[in-house]
Amino acid sequence: MNRGPTLRKAWAWWWGILLAFMLIAGMRLVLPLPFVNEILIFSIYAIGCSFLLGKVGFISFGQPAYLAVGAYATAFYLFYFGTNPYIGILWGLAAGCAAALLVGPLFVRLRSDYFALVNLALAVIVFYLMQKVLAPITKGDNGLWFLTNMTSTPVLDITQPQQFFIFAFLVGLVVWAFYKYLDDTIFGACCLATKINEDKLQFLGYSNFRIRLAAFVIANTTTALAGSLYAVYLGAVSPEITAPSRTADPVIVILLGGVGTLYGPIVGSVAYTGMKDVISKLIGNWEMVIGPLLVIIMLAGEKGIWGTLEPWLKNVLFRRRNTAADDRDEAR
Amino acid sequence: MNAAALLSVNGLSASYGSAKVLFDISLAVAPRSIVACVGRNGAGKTTLLKTIAGFIKPTAGTVTAGDRTLIGLPPYDVARLGVKYVPQDKKVFSDLTVRENLELGSYATRDYNWDPVTTYFPKLKVLMDRKAGYLSGGERQMLMIGRAILGSPQVLLVDEPTEGLAPSIVAHLKNVFRELSKTAALVIVEQNLPLVCAIADKVYALSDGAIVATLSGSDEIRVDQCERFL
Amino acid sequence: MDTSLLFSGFIFGLSIGSIYFLMAIGLSLCFGLMRVISLDQLLYYSVGAYIAYSVSLATGSFGLGLIAAVAVGGVVSLAIERMVFRRIYERDLTFSMITSFGVLLGGVGVIKFFWGLVPRPVPLPFSAQVDLLGTDVPAYRLLVVAVAAAVYIGIWLFLNRTVTGKAIRAGIESVEHVEGLGINVARLFTTTFVIAGTLSALAGALHAPLIMVDPHMGLEVLAFVFMVVIIGGLGSIKGTLVSAFIVGQVVSIGSLIYAPLAQVAPFVIMLLILLVKPTGLYGSALLKK
Repeated sequence: MNRGPTLRKAWAWWWGILLAFMLIAGMRLVLPLPFVNEILIFSIYAIGCSFLLGKVGFISFGQPAYLAVGAYATAFYLFYFGTNPYIGILWGLAAGCAAALLVGPLFVRLRSDYFALVNLALAVIVFYLMQKVLAPITKGDNGLWFLTNMTSTPVLDITQPQQFFIFAFLVGLVVWAFYKYLDDTIFGACCLATKINEDKLQFLGYSNFRIRLAAFVIANTTTALAGSLYAVYLGAVSPEITAPSRTADPVIVILLGGVGTLYGPIVGSVAYTGMKDVISKLIGNWEMVIGPLLVIIMLAGEKGIWGTLEPWLKNVLFRRRNTAADDRDEAR
Repeated sequence: MNAAALLSVNGLSASYGSAKVLFDISLAVAPRSIVACVGRNGAGKTTLLKTIAGFIKPTAGTVTAGDRTLIGLPPYDVARLGVKYVPQDKKVFSDLTVRENLELGSYATRDYNWDPVTTYFPKLKVLMDRKAGYLSGGERQMLMIGRAILGSPQVLLVDEPTEGLAPSIVAHLKNVFRELSKTAALVIVEQNLPLVCAIADKVYALSDGAIVATLSGSDEIRVDQCERFL
Repeated sequence: MDTSLLFSGFIFGLSIGSIYFLMAIGLSLCFGLMRVISLDQLLYYSVGAYIAYSVSLATGSFGLGLIAAVAVGGVVSLAIERMVFRRIYERDLTFSMITSFGVLLGGVGVIKFFWGLVPRPVPLPFSAQVDLLGTDVPAYRLLVVAVAAAVYIGIWLFLNRTVTGKAIRAGIESVEHVEGLGINVARLFTTTFVIAGTLSALAGALHAPLIMVDPHMGLEVLAFVFMVVIIGGLGSIKGTLVSAFIVGQVVSIGSLIYAPLAQVAPFVIMLLILLVKPTGLYGSALLKK
């Protein structure tokens, strides 16, 4: 393949990310601020899980555990020690990274089925840990409230919802760009290779273990970051964020969006947050709708909303403008 | 294709995902005959047997046994109609005893007459209560074939039966195949050309998923005739 | 520590382990034979508990409630197998896990719809205490243990003495070979799935008087049941029995030492076991998909 199409493709990808975030910025104008903030955080939350599932072949039903680690690390700092939310977020990142490094070496050795189940158990254990075992410092079900502890920060005051939106927007953009970049590196290729054929990758002289561990740590640190953002945004953390019924949240989001698609997690976050919001307002029983919907999506071929919309959108948007270019793309 | 054929395959094609592995295969198996398929590794011999047995859905073509079409039936219905597949992996149910393995062979047709099995393979009689996991390779192959011939199938699809077995057992199996062909038709995929040439009535040579030659009659089925296809 | 306290803790652990065992054995069989992870077993557990609650409330007989729970659990799992699982056996594990989570979530929604959010108490069918080795032990807990023991024996006989059971054991080794012998594996799958669903419902109904029934009860035992399955090794019946016993005792004895330990100790035990043997105590490394 010559360099021309590769460059053009890369440019199209970057342009795509910018467009997606432009749309989110646009949503800010029409939708209520809490909703948009929720979507931003959720999309950061989902991308780690999406990376693990789509690129490494690990399905994690335990993402809320790492979300909770990030959220609680931030909360502990802001509740007991400091006042600067930025430092709180750094603590969350560090804790997420440390937690992933702690359990990762054991987890990534497991077969993918055990991996999914062990993570699921981990999420529930973290829930009990925060709710009961560490109750003296986590205040149990009441949670930690530290909204008033946080002091305003210079330049971007993230204690204000409006400015938090800008911050979360920028963080989201950076995270997405980072994962986009990962895709194009050798590391990204190796991740995909461990998913497809781990033996052959070993013959090439790579260590499956190290690649998986790195992917695991990266993905879960991202998830912890989302947790920290939640903590700062809400000004409170309770065990509810890792409740057993929410263990599959990120998995549902990426499935709603479509596995392995670039915008899947964003589209899924919008759809899921929106649906939950609307459904719980209307009938207060979101499980009854989300559950069957999930089953239908899976049985219908797991293409998800974006996976189904993408060809259709392409058709509508680009048909008149550059049919020829599209044809060339198809041929390639 | 052939009105007298017990099993006839017409224009069969199959693929794994987007990779085509069988191209327009047609063959006919007459009653009480032994048909052999030879070819290199990867020629599509096993795929052919598995497609006939219903484990792989073909993309085109028909398979009929007598007047029944087998395409689209799940493997267990194909087996019930008397077309039984003996895989090459020699995987007996290792956690079950020999007796239990045979019971499962009898289960589908409720034919609990084990005389044919014990006549062909007297050795299995003394091994009845041993766990199949402790059998030797030859004994496993005997059990695999014994399990499959219960319920008197019309067609046996046997995949590489002698691979890795001792010469004495191969000789024994040769006689068993000859005996079996008195009541049933056999389709054997085999790399052991002397064996093939000794027992086969017809030989199909496969290469890259297509039949490249058909040999029949004692003058054509000679080892030197078949060798060029391996 | 007081021996009688320790002994009643032991019985408590046995009864908890029995509940976990009843649920885990179905999950383990489903994984072994069909290679699916059926999270919806937790739904049949909740359904069993709720049916036992409603029927025993209406008729005043817990025995009737138990029978109704098992029957409804069987019917619901049969329906789900036909509508959902039949289409996903061929797919990989991830697929069944997510789909069955959808079923579980939807089921929780349905339970909320019919019974509401409020936890309901189920009265103990009999509150008698039995004197065992000088310690007073609740008779109901002994009944739970007895039922689980009976189920273990029943399952063992089914798998080793009936030809369907033998076909299931053979299928755990290789479904393809079972199919090749002319055995209807679709029916075998349905049978196994319904057995699993029925046992889960039985577990839920038996557990109901010991706890409060609430819509999320399935999600509350989820971690423990899966720890039992993981420690025992996916697809192993014997492993499930051993690990259910271990987890039950760890939960019970752990809570005697320091209450919050009950939740976390089994997890630590699981990690330690996985560290030594990544496929669980009796899990075979050969079972791969």
